[in-house]
Amino acid sequence: MGWLKTGSPKPSAGLKGVLREVLSYKSAVAGIVILLFLIGLSVYTVVTIPLPEAIQAWRSSEAWSRNPRNAQPEWIELFYGRKLPRTITVSLGEKASEVLREDGTLSVSWVIHFNYEYDDFPSEIIVFFNSSFVEKPVVDIYWIRPDGDEILLKKHTLRRPDDRLYLSNDLGLELRLERLFESKIGKKPNFTVTVEKGLFSEYSQDPRVLKGLYGMRFETALNKSDVLNAEVVIYGTVHGLAGTDHLRRPLIIGLLWGTPIAMSFGLTTALLTTALGLIIGTISGWYGGKIDTIIQRIVEINAVLPFLPILILLTTFYRIDLFVILLSVVVLSIFSLGIKGTRILVMQIKSYPYIEAAQAYGASNMRLILFYVIPKIMPPVVPGMISSVPGFVFLEAGLSYLGLGDPFLPTWGKIISDAQTNGAFYKGMYYWVLEPAFMLILTAIAFALIGMALERIVNPKLKEL
Amino acid sequence: MNSEGRLLELEDLRKWFEIRRGFLSSKVSYVKAVDGVTFTLDEGMAVSLVGESGSGKTTLGKTIIRLYEPNGGRIIFQDRDVTHLKANDLKWYRRMTGLVQQDPFGAFASHFTIFRSLEEPLLIHNTVKSKEERAEKVFKALEEVRLTPVEDFAYKYPHMLSGGQLQRVAIARAIILEPRLLVADEPVSMLDASVRIEILTLLRRLQERLRLGVIYITHDLATTRFFSEWALIMYAGHVMEKAFTQEILRNPLHPYTRALLTATPEPNPENRNRFKQVPPGEPPALIDPPKSCRFSPRCPRAFDKCFKEEPPEFEAASGHWVKCWLYERSEGK
Ligand SMILES: Nc1ncnc2c1ncn2[C@@H]1O[C@H](COP(=O)(O)OP(=O)(O)OP(=O)(O)O)[C@@H](O)[C@H]1O
Ligand SMILES: [Mg+2]
Repeated sequence: MGWLKTGSPKPSAGLKGVLREVLSYKSAVAGIVILLFLIGLSVYTVVTIPLPEAIQAWRSSEAWSRNPRNAQPEWIELFYGRKLPRTITVSLGEKASEVLREDGTLSVSWVIHFNYEYDDFPSEIIVFFNSSFVEKPVVDIYWIRPDGDEILLKKHTLRRPDDRLYLSNDLGLELRLERLFESKIGKKPNFTVTVEKGLFSEYSQDPRVLKGLYGMRFETALNKSDVLNAEVVIYGTVHGLAGTDHLRRPLIIGLLWGTPIAMSFGLTTALLTTALGLIIGTISGWYGGKIDTIIQRIVEINAVLPFLPILILLTTFYRIDLFVILLSVVVLSIFSLGIKGTRILVMQIKSYPYIEAAQAYGASNMRLILFYVIPKIMPPVVPGMISSVPGFVFLEAGLSYLGLGDPFLPTWGKIISDAQTNGAFYKGMYYWVLEPAFMLILTAIAFALIGMALERIVNPKLKEL
Repeated sequence: MNSEGRLLELEDLRKWFEIRRGFLSSKVSYVKAVDGVTFTLDEGMAVSLVGESGSGKTTLGKTIIRLYEPNGGRIIFQDRDVTHLKANDLKWYRRMTGLVQQDPFGAFASHFTIFRSLEEPLLIHNTVKSKEERAEKVFKALEEVRLTPVEDFAYKYPHMLSGGQLQRVAIARAIILEPRLLVADEPVSMLDASVRIEILTLLRRLQERLRLGVIYITHDLATTRFFSEWALIMYAGHVMEKAFTQEILRNPLHPYTRALLTATPEPNPENRNRFKQVPPGEPPALIDPPKSCRFSPRCPRAFDKCFKEEPPEFEAASGHWVKCWLYERSEGK
């Protein structure tokens, strides 16, 4: 307890001195840089994606219908060395032809084109209709390959104005494509001809992407007042910076919003538990007597209570949101064993002559505690507080992982939990787990590096370690 | 002595420390550290409290300035009963009294500058409102204890000062609220011999100039000579002898006082022989002491009565009181 020695030389006093000393540690500088990055990210997130919107979007499935399902992040290409398909969206746009027929209906057609230059097949093809009609129209959809071949995809009867055509699920189409391949190459191909492969592969034994300009033709008969529009979405296998999950949600939103949530949760709990623990320990050590006895018994009981099971119990009984979790964690953590240490320090400080001197010139208990005792015990407390942040961040993630987290907020723990329940590792979707894990570890490292440096500064004996 | 010039009166003052023995035991014993002290101190006078270690000097000093609450007796300060003052009245009493402790190195919060340490009493009592006035007071106090140029010291931290300098700051802090009574508990015993005289001289000058009442606690009878008008000799919570310092030094009556005087290093070879008068020994345990003269087990001149009954204070000569059965007959005078 070197910092307690009265008259021990302090190389630099005040906040500035401490800051200068912190900056002399390379590890601390790294920690600060990471922390600043995380803070910047949090601010950016909070400003650009307001929380209600984020929650709303995170919970709705509709918002993400144009995103691919379980897509990897785009930068994963760097490891594969191939150009992986992005999502292509094409609208019908202008009509190609319009002919008035004898029965008064219009015969209409559209042709759309898109380039496909990727090294892999798309993951899914969906046609989103957006129409209004009196009688349900039948739409014939043709596929035009770069080599000129034309394939009838489907004669589709629109059931609703906003009908969707899930081409990938069309078993009939799959069967026709398989037969087409057989006839083109003369024997059964070596692969299962899925809709995507059937439409995008060369006619070859093994699946090989046929690059080039693809087209689609839509033909239908409409009444005069009918309107028909459609959007063809050819889903890629990669999406954005962080990829998507099983609900097509971009993980980046969860990862981004996870940052301010994790940081504020970690910091608030660390701050509250440290501050309250400090106050309780100080009261215990300063006043002694009955209060001290009661506090010490509570601490001892609290020490043998199983923290996690109680927390789990609490979170199952109460409506869980982040605030309730925070409160429970704080309540369960304030009577920690750390109080014993604080108490002993305070008792030691209380016996110092300068306290007696201050009493002799009339300092009140309040003043003594605030200005004479707390500043003395702060040095080891601050690094301890900072070092305790990662623990709380991991705790929140752990609770989310166990399904006991806030059900609405997108958090890192929740993403990992989703990944787990959807067999991410089993399906090879490592990014789904690794991204939130990376953020968690980054946060932990930032606080740990800073905390360690601070600890060395206040307790120079650690410097040799 | 008229009430006008009277600063402090102690009437049968007691401070007993309660100690519980054993776990959950309701049996309470007392350490009778101060057990019936009566004394009067006039404005601007200094009194020395002399005695061996453990005789209760510090306890008496702290009880007088109400760091301890007495268990019995009364403390009258400027004709006001301060024995059991509370809250705001106690705060007033704190302003009227000052304390200089033994250990200058422990007397300051290491995170305060000297300036802040001296400012604290002013902030607490809010005697001066403006910042400038406070600074002025602080600088004046530093000048008062000869720590000049004041700017060189004001913004230093305690660990940058020597023991002697720190003790000067401690004195400055003790007088900054302009108290009337100062308790100096062995203020030089932890200092280097070379600065002791300086500090004592400084204290004496301040006392005379500010007309302070001073209670000077010491082991060392020799320094009392030029420091105090009065001397109280304490042993095991009792005052064994009290008189003018000159009188006690010239004509010590109590066997304990004589022993103390011989224990004081004196160049005079005659005094060295007197040392043998007191058998070696320890002061008695103060937990539930017996009802006898507390010095009797070590006293070379003790007789039957001394072991049976506690002696009262006899006025052996005018203004010279002794708590010893040897002087019982002089009572008749
Ligand atoms: N807070 C306390 N609780 C219990 N006993 C105490 C307490 N303070 C002092 N004592 C006891 O009271 C007695 C007198 O102590 P005190 O410190 O007043 O002696 P002293 O004359 O100042 O000694 P020294 O010259 O060593 O400073 C001692 O026996 C001591 O153990
Ligand atoms: Mg003492």
